[in-house]
Amino acid sequence: MSFEKQLNIIDYSLSSIWRRRFKSLGVAVVFAGVIFLLASFQMTTKALTIVAGDSLAAAPEITIQKMRAGRQESIPVAYQTKLGGIFGIRTITPRIWGYYFSEINGANYTILGLDPLAMPLGDQLVHAIDSNRLPKEHEVVLGQGVRVAVTSSGSSMFSLFRPDLTSKPLTIAGSFKAGTNLLTYDTLFMNVSDARDLFALPAELATDLCVTVANPNEVPTIAKKIAALLPDTRVVTRQQIQKTYQAVFGWRSGFASICLLTALTSFIIFAWDKASGLTPEEKKEIGILKIIGWQTSDVLTLRFWEGVIVSTVSFVVGYTLAYVHVSFFEAGLFRPILVGWSVIHPAMRLIPAVDLGETLLVLCLTVVPYLAATVIPAWRSAIIPADSALN
Amino acid sequence: MTAPLIELEKVCKTYNQGQPNEVRALRNIDLAIAANAMVCLQGASGSGKSTLLSIIGCVFPPTSGRAAIAGKQLARMPDRFLTIHRRNTIGFIFQHFNILPELTVLENITLPLMPLGVAPRERKERAGRLMRMLSIGHRANFPARQISGGELQRVAIARALINDPPIILADEPTAHLDHALSLAFMEIMQELQRAGKTVILTSHDPLITSHPAVQRTIAIEDGEIHVP
Amino acid sequence: MFLNSWSVALTLLSLVVLILTTIAVRTAIRVLRYWQPASDSNRQIRLENETWLSSTLVQYAMGFQVLSLVLFVLAADNFSKVISGAMCATGALTANRYGMVVLLVKLLGAFLYGFWIVLHSFDISSERYPLLRAKYIALVCLLPLLVVDAVSQTLYIANLKPDIITSCCAVVFGEGGGNDGNLLGSVPQGLLLTVFYGTALVLATLGHFLFRRLNRLLLWLNGLVWFFFIGAAFVAITTVFSSYVYAMPYHHCPFCILKPEYCYIGLVIYGTMLPAGFFGIAATLAEFIPASIGLEGVVSRFQKRAVLLSSILLVIFLVVVSYHYIVYRFMGGEGS
Repeated sequence: MSFEKQLNIIDYSLSSIWRRRFKSLGVAVVFAGVIFLLASFQMTTKALTIVAGDSLAAAPEITIQKMRAGRQESIPVAYQTKLGGIFGIRTITPRIWGYYFSEINGANYTILGLDPLAMPLGDQLVHAIDSNRLPKEHEVVLGQGVRVAVTSSGSSMFSLFRPDLTSKPLTIAGSFKAGTNLLTYDTLFMNVSDARDLFALPAELATDLCVTVANPNEVPTIAKKIAALLPDTRVVTRQQIQKTYQAVFGWRSGFASICLLTALTSFIIFAWDKASGLTPEEKKEIGILKIIGWQTSDVLTLRFWEGVIVSTVSFVVGYTLAYVHVSFFEAGLFRPILVGWSVIHPAMRLIPAVDLGETLLVLCLTVVPYLAATVIPAWRSAIIPADSALN
Repeated sequence: MTAPLIELEKVCKTYNQGQPNEVRALRNIDLAIAANAMVCLQGASGSGKSTLLSIIGCVFPPTSGRAAIAGKQLARMPDRFLTIHRRNTIGFIFQHFNILPELTVLENITLPLMPLGVAPRERKERAGRLMRMLSIGHRANFPARQISGGELQRVAIARALINDPPIILADEPTAHLDHALSLAFMEIMQELQRAGKTVILTSHDPLITSHPAVQRTIAIEDGEIHVP
Repeated sequence: MFLNSWSVALTLLSLVVLILTTIAVRTAIRVLRYWQPASDSNRQIRLENETWLSSTLVQYAMGFQVLSLVLFVLAADNFSKVISGAMCATGALTANRYGMVVLLVKLLGAFLYGFWIVLHSFDISSERYPLLRAKYIALVCLLPLLVVDAVSQTLYIANLKPDIITSCCAVVFGEGGGNDGNLLGSVPQGLLLTVFYGTALVLATLGHFLFRRLNRLLLWLNGLVWFFFIGAAFVAITTVFSSYVYAMPYHHCPFCILKPEYCYIGLVIYGTMLPAGFFGIAATLAEFIPASIGLEGVVSRFQKRAVLLSSILLVIFLVVVSYHYIVYRFMGGEGS
């Protein structure tokens, strides 16, 4: 089939779509809606994955947690010494962290006690704080979400309560910058001794141990050695956390895709119905085309291009709307499904990544079933006999 | 002596062959039409006239018998090749013209050229020549639903001529036209015949059957050619 | 790992291709049983109409199969992000024994659909449809391959184990599937490149002679050399050229070149190499059409066009695939 012939048939397809614009528009609008839903999910998943990946870049390569009866408990700081013989470990830093429930606003704050200077590049943390200094003893740096909650009175001091309900006063040393919200929004960052005091944790214990490694390629090997030396611990690598995030987002997105398949199926049935329902005028038109010299294959090509044009327009519209939805409305329709529930939700800017893979994925979930569904109706219209124009 | 342009020998056409509702539309039709002739087919509804027209028009092949149209045997020719032969050989003018009302006059006329891959410029040129010849050039960009009955008739003729086919088939062309337009139509047909075309008309209209340009009238009755 | 958008899309695509082909095969069986070209019965007319349906379905199925192939590779890259030890698509594809099987079956399927379409175009060029029976027998034989495609893909996805944190203990390290980054063992670069470019030169020469004058022996040779070249090209891309695209000497992955960070150069590379191979082999397979059925003119016209097209695509492929290698070797690294 020559190129010129294809162009002619495309020309006629456009004219045909225009002449049946209400029918075509109906199909295109519904189709764009289905594409919008699927594309929004995909883009949100991908954007969250990227955000999660970026945020995890700062996490330690290996985290060691002590387990008892399948649950995490505080780890003896002395376990560090058992790991002294493992070649390739740069630093081992005890970390104290936990959750603090605020009865005032019903939120769980994350308390983090860490000596950043004990970790590689830890001195860079000051750049994430608006006051450009790390908290000293009895001082705390607040995440943006916490700051709003505790500084409503305008004071630079506030108190938290220890497990025995005695109050622990803390001075605000600064706030994390808004750009770190994903990690710090609900965080109170203090030094290790203050965190230990707040949670009444004995001096010999910590929540977990952060291990940094000189050579990233050595992480699995070192993790394996640690697991062998400390059998009562759970050893988690950063890569595993990344893959877990990816898998969780993937599951949720996959689950949503399956749910949206019902919407897609309904649309396919609708599209089949629309494609099959030829009016007497449409049948007459095919008969005329056939008798004046259009072959069955030409009419099939005509229907193919009609399908491609409608689905392309729907795809572009649906995909663009999905992009706007994710970029400018932070995927407001679907975020709760993917991000989860929390009283304090960091405001994060989702930037949808548009690449060939993601586009092809949405195309395969939407346009392919649509084109497949229109083949048989297209064929039925193409085999209308030429002599029907003579009757 | 040159071979006839249209030659049918013991042509039969049976619909629903082997089924309880089998219909023998044509029985042993023998017909020869020379090139450059103007012939009128006459027959009542159900006589087999449309079936005969369809076979001459290469719309479908006969069930049995020999049918040669412009040198090509039609017997069991696949639809694909029938269509190719039809578009090169036959120009159809339908009873109700069958012009697509939403398309422009130009688009209607050039419709047969589109699957041939003819470029828009050439389509416009070829259609332009015909439109000028038929005095409808000024209507080129009008939607067909906006033109008069006489102009529609000429659009139908132009569409039938766009591929320069040797045979023109007109099925009851004056059934819905007044006397003046019917006369005008026959004048155009006569011109075409003088220019070398073979014109085959089907009609009950006495204006056509008794027109001096019609060289021969063939009557069909019950699927057979009726010789009075 | 079915609960994943990529898995859903792949499964849906396979299902669509299988359904379309099954309907086409149904027509094929009916045609093989009842076809009577001399008959004017309603059944024969219906069958003639159905031949259009079957050819359209196969064309659509071929398009979707090609899409499925590309999607599968991109999905594998996505799966690698959750599989232990897999850093890219290579790791994901070798995570279990089904990955590479699926890839090869999909590729074979795309080629076979293409050959069928060529056969169909020969058949409908003659009024007698001389290749009708052969065509539909071939179509029936294609169906088992698609079933293998769908089943192996399902097994592949089902056997993927995402590497997620367990609640109680450390996951055993270093035992993740995936021979990551090294799909093939090392091959001496100099020898490989000599074979690669030497074969390409042979193909270009054969193409030149065949375009001027078709010769049965040369056609057969052309087909066989193309068959060999596709394999050699894949090895060369994997072990040599890809590293230069990535600017990483130990990254030998034939799939990462499809990613946006490498400007989708893989699409151009495979988008020229595979069609070139297809047309080259198709020109040879056309020799199987017997001369007695009256299609010599159509077949020889196709062979000339196919040979020309494969030669043009071969040249484009060579230029694109060699670009990074040449830039590195002769200009001292990635040039601007």
